[in-house]
Amino acid sequence: MAVPSTSNRVVPLPQADAAILVVDRVAMRFHTAEGGVSALDDVSFTVAPGEFLAVIGPSGCGKSTLFNIIGGLLTGYDGRISVAGQKISGPHASIGMVFQEESTFPWRNVVDNVAFPLELAGMDKRERIERARHFVSMVGLDGFENRYPAELSGGMRQRVSMARTLASEPKIFLMDEPFAALDEQTRLLLGDKVLQIQQQLNQTMLLITHNITEAVQLADRILVMTYRPGRVKRIVDIMLPRPRTSEIVSSELFGRYVAQIWSDLREEASRGMIDDESRVLHAGECRP
Amino acid sequence: MSAVALTARRWLPPFVGFGSLVLALAVVEGLIRLGAINRFIVPLPSEVIASFARVIVEEDILHRFLLTAWECLASGILLTVFGVAIGALFHRLRLLRLACETWVAAMASAPLVLAYPLFLVLFGRSALTIIMLAFLSGLPPVILKTIEGLSATRRVLINVGRSFNLTPAQQFYKILLPSALPTIFVGIRLGLIFALINVVGVEFLINFGGLGQLINELAERYDLPAMYAAICFVIFVSVVFFVTTERAERWLRSAG
Amino acid sequence: MAEIGRLTRAVAPRPWMMPVMLLRVVIVLAVLLIWQFLSASGWFYRGVVPSLPTIAGALAKLLSGGDLYWNLWVTIDEIAIGLAIGGLSGLVAGLVIGGNKFIAAAFEPYLYYLGPTPKIIFFPVMIMWFGVGAGSKIAMGAVSCFFPIALNVAAGMRQIDQVLIRVGTSFRANPWQMATKIYLPAMRPAVINGLRLGLGVALIGTLLAETKLSNRGIGAMVMQAYAAFDMPRMYAILIVLFALAIGVNALVARFGGLDAIERK
Repeated sequence: MAVPSTSNRVVPLPQADAAILVVDRVAMRFHTAEGGVSALDDVSFTVAPGEFLAVIGPSGCGKSTLFNIIGGLLTGYDGRISVAGQKISGPHASIGMVFQEESTFPWRNVVDNVAFPLELAGMDKRERIERARHFVSMVGLDGFENRYPAELSGGMRQRVSMARTLASEPKIFLMDEPFAALDEQTRLLLGDKVLQIQQQLNQTMLLITHNITEAVQLADRILVMTYRPGRVKRIVDIMLPRPRTSEIVSSELFGRYVAQIWSDLREEASRGMIDDESRVLHAGECRP
Repeated sequence: MSAVALTARRWLPPFVGFGSLVLALAVVEGLIRLGAINRFIVPLPSEVIASFARVIVEEDILHRFLLTAWECLASGILLTVFGVAIGALFHRLRLLRLACETWVAAMASAPLVLAYPLFLVLFGRSALTIIMLAFLSGLPPVILKTIEGLSATRRVLINVGRSFNLTPAQQFYKILLPSALPTIFVGIRLGLIFALINVVGVEFLINFGGLGQLINELAERYDLPAMYAAICFVIFVSVVFFVTTERAERWLRSAG
Repeated sequence: MAEIGRLTRAVAPRPWMMPVMLLRVVIVLAVLLIWQFLSASGWFYRGVVPSLPTIAGALAKLLSGGDLYWNLWVTIDEIAIGLAIGGLSGLVAGLVIGGNKFIAAAFEPYLYYLGPTPKIIFFPVMIMWFGVGAGSKIAMGAVSCFFPIALNVAAGMRQIDQVLIRVGTSFRANPWQMATKIYLPAMRPAVINGLRLGLGVALIGTLLAETKLSNRGIGAMVMQAYAAFDMPRMYAILIVLFALAIGVNALVARFGGLDAIERK
């Protein structure tokens, strides 16, 4: 049965001036000892203000490379990234990043962690603590302001990282598999939290993930990537109702979206697995 | 990147490091010759290099080296035997371990070598003083690492032994000790390094023995180039010892 | 009711009767008894193993006299300056090496392999360069502590979790902010550990230098007692010295450890 409104090819850049993020023919090649590896090849898409875009792909498709490029941590790529019409080259005030790994500062308590971007901007202490508390509350960590990351669970620490990035009030909130290390139930609940925040702030969000359920649960549109070199395979509009909660996972439409995306992804993921296996075999043969 | 470029990249840093050393020596040589540095305080590097041969032949360096080596060996054997035995004892008797482990750790940080005048009185100006000091200085790390290694034996391996009804002695020799061996060897290596440092140091301080005493003697004779050469020789021996034990530890770790 | 009372009374622990404490007391007493026995036995050359009361008396005399504290001050002074010089240069060297892979590959092996050598053999050189006074002792202390501090600082820099640096970059922190708000706090445990080790070896280096050639400081006091064969006094000085050394080491470890937040 057909799922409403999908597009088969890369969506042509629509009203580029209305989009808040424009990724235009981005390609990235890494130079290694064995030669060159093309991580990304001609990736183009846009993100509208207030939209939630999920980028999904198999391991090795260059998602994290894309994350680092948009965030400004990687240079030397072909193509162009622009935010609100301005070309990006390097970390930008309008882009906030949440990393996959544990990234809270272990020597600072929760509220000092969250106040970090405000501290960098030179805000005075009283004001920044007050603002930080606001974001600590937004991620649901009231009462934990004076705790240290070592005392918190993994999910709570990721919430602190998110609050810290939110505190810098970026136009675009960029997340690289932030819930990868968490268990499924925590992930679903935190997904709810993210949706709540997005609703409250009308925040544009870009989520990199390998988890199909997560992508369909959270996103307005899903960008499916191919295996290396990463290209845009398909963009799927997710016509699930907003506001959404994690209960949506039990709906039939949800299931069909997941099935459709998996059918796209499966092919790419298999290519990735075959590639991995052949690499291990080859390495084994080379050893004396 | 091409193979040539990769090889160059690998060897460039050590080359730069060594090159800087040579350059520094050349600068010192130049400054001394110009008179900017007093040659009675810092001898010409070229003279020091030249005196290497003299030191080796005249000062009977082989004999001295063997004497130092013998002292290291003796203290090394002592600290290994006693260290592992005491460590095993502590592991076995939990109460003893709880009572004394912090004391051993404190001993590890205590400057035992400062008591060398006391050892001089107790054992006289002899090799025994040197061996005793080196032995006691190197003992704590062996004890601590032995305890650590034995305690870290994976629970499942111990259970395998129990399932075969091994006696406590068999359990120790067939399961605990082999499992702990890599960590124990780290401790022995640390102990040996401490022992070497203390052997040479005390030889120097009490003016008895092999290489350490040589440096002291050359200093008193005010034979500067030879003294610097002897110091370099001791550094060389120490580095070789350090590298050898490091290789041995790595080999043991991969074989075990 | 009576049972409840009995239950609560039994639960309260008495620290001085706990087995570990008891065993420690027993061991200490046993050592002291053996010592006293050896002293009285006459097996050793007269005076080498003084009786416990003699040592206690010498200790009391030492602590009440003035020259211990004066000499202690001299030694502490020398160690402090040596630690400052060696520590600062070690910190800078460690930062440079830790921050740049090429420099680390070129120069760190020298530090790494020169570290575990007996530094006291450099003492004659120090005497020639810095004189027979406090200068050579300070130099000994500085040279001794330079290596562990530099190596620990470099290692500390390298093991900073890379993601924390990326966080700083993503928030566009300038180099000064990166250094003070990210690098230094992240390196703190390693730096404290380096300082603890550095203090230990600076102490040894300075004191050994004093025993070899000095007329001031604790090391000199030990040698004076040795020369006069005043064994009780020597034991007393050594007891004070060891107590201080162990105490300072514990203090630095605790002071550094208190604030070091480890990740789970």
